Amino acid sequence: MSNNQVSDSNVDSSETGQTSSTPNSPDSNQTHFGFKQVDKAEKASMVAGVFHSVAAKYDIMNDLMSMGVHRIWKRFTIDCSGVRAGHKVLDLAGGTGDLAAKFSKLVGENGQVVLADINNAMLQVGREKLRNKGIVGNLEYVQANAEMLPFPDNHFDVITIAFGLRNVTDKDKALASMYRVLKPGGRLLVLEFSKPQNEMLTKAYDLYSFHLLPKMGQLVANDSESYQYLAESIRMHPDQETLKGMMETAGFEQTSFHNLTGGIVALHRGFKF
Amino acid sequence: MPAAQLVSSAIERVLNHLLKLDSDSASGLKKLAGKQLSVAVHELPWPLIFNFSDRVDVLVGMPDEEVKGDCHLALSIATLQKLKDTSQITRLIQNNDLVLEGDLKVAQQFSQLISELEIDWEEQLSQYTGDLVAHKAFAFGKKLVQNTQAQANRLVATLADAAIEEKRIAAPPILVVDFCDQVNELRSATDRLEAKLNRLERQSTTKPNKQSS
Repeated sequence: MSNNQVSDSNVDSSETGQTSSTPNSPDSNQTHFGFKQVDKAEKASMVAGVFHSVAAKYDIMNDLMSMGVHRIWKRFTIDCSGVRAGHKVLDLAGGTGDLAAKFSKLVGENGQVVLADINNAMLQVGREKLRNKGIVGNLEYVQANAEMLPFPDNHFDVITIAFGLRNVTDKDKALASMYRVLKPGGRLLVLEFSKPQNEMLTKAYDLYSFHLLPKMGQLVANDSESYQYLAESIRMHPDQETLKGMMETAGFEQTSFHNLTGGIVALHRGFKF
Repeated sequence: MPAAQLVSSAIERVLNHLLKLDSDSASGLKKLAGKQLSVAVHELPWPLIFNFSDRVDVLVGMPDEEVKGDCHLALSIATLQKLKDTSQITRLIQNNDLVLEGDLKVAQQFSQLISELEIDWEEQLSQYTGDLVAHKAFAFGKKLVQNTQAQANRLVATLADAAIEEKRIAAPPILVVDFCDQVNELRSATDRLEAKLNRLERQSTTKPNKQSS
């Protein structure tokens, strides 16, 4: 997960369902860090701290926290990607490279996959993991800020960002940047925690994420605060319809979303034409 | 939770595990590298897309976009079994049991890759149980299979012999009909005789009575 994206979940509005361009903070220099209000300049380093702390145990915690279901969510994302041999794919906030590993096989030797993350610790864990699996050749690693992607215009056929957008300081800016580097005909896939669609599920999910999750983080990664932040940042992220609207504002067309596991996670898809 | 992704994940895992067990499969996979095979089985709600590299990745086709890849097959499970006999393919297409689009070679190479897998199961078992146990288990298994086959062959031979011998000495249908007719005639004659005897018996009992009167 990227940290710069991580940097701060842009003073947004997600809470209220407004778009991120409408800050709801009383001070425009302030932003959310979970439920806390912090200085914008501070948040990037705070989020970076979270991901530095969890990088080593990131995969095992993902499996534990989601009971393995995150693998199914990621498979669904890949199924929706329409990736073919020869495609150029950007896996943004790619973390430990789950999506990039699969894309590398799908695009073949004539294709290219760029695993980008703002957090160097995450990128290193991802690089080591994929190299140990023998996934090399068509895969590049780039430390990049989602808000200012260091790639030419109209460059990628597919961009994915899985569990990374909520950590981005200025989501609108990041979406605009993704739109710029996407080829016409290309698509963006945003896999992110979202709003459960059932009252009972919401209650159970709150109980799990605010009480159980930090304890699991303490036990496994010796870090409860990072997982407390995770739970809080999920609540601050825009809901399904809001994010869809933000994508449309950025220029994406034929936008849609699929709720997964009752809306705990949603996959948003948008095309550039 | 999307069930399709669970199914495709299971298929992918099994396929790649089997391919890993046969070191010769790498050359077969190499021929397919970079190719894509889409298979729409009528009994499944979604098509499966097989992507080949140094492994096989199985994706689920999305309903809102048609992916046909280098080769596309649409068929039922029953037809899938008939595909083993490649000489049937033209007939299956003519009967609309099989829709085939693209490069048939991809489907054939994939089918060949799977059917020609040679897995040394004894070697695989020995990794868990040790060589001796694995060897003994397989030797016992082989012997059991051989014995069962021998018994089955013997039974078939016995039945075949019996059928042939029985056929040779069995009465032809016309003789059976004749025999049945003879039995019927005999039964009629017996009935007649019985009736005659009854009548004589009755006569013999009434005559002495008349004489005495």
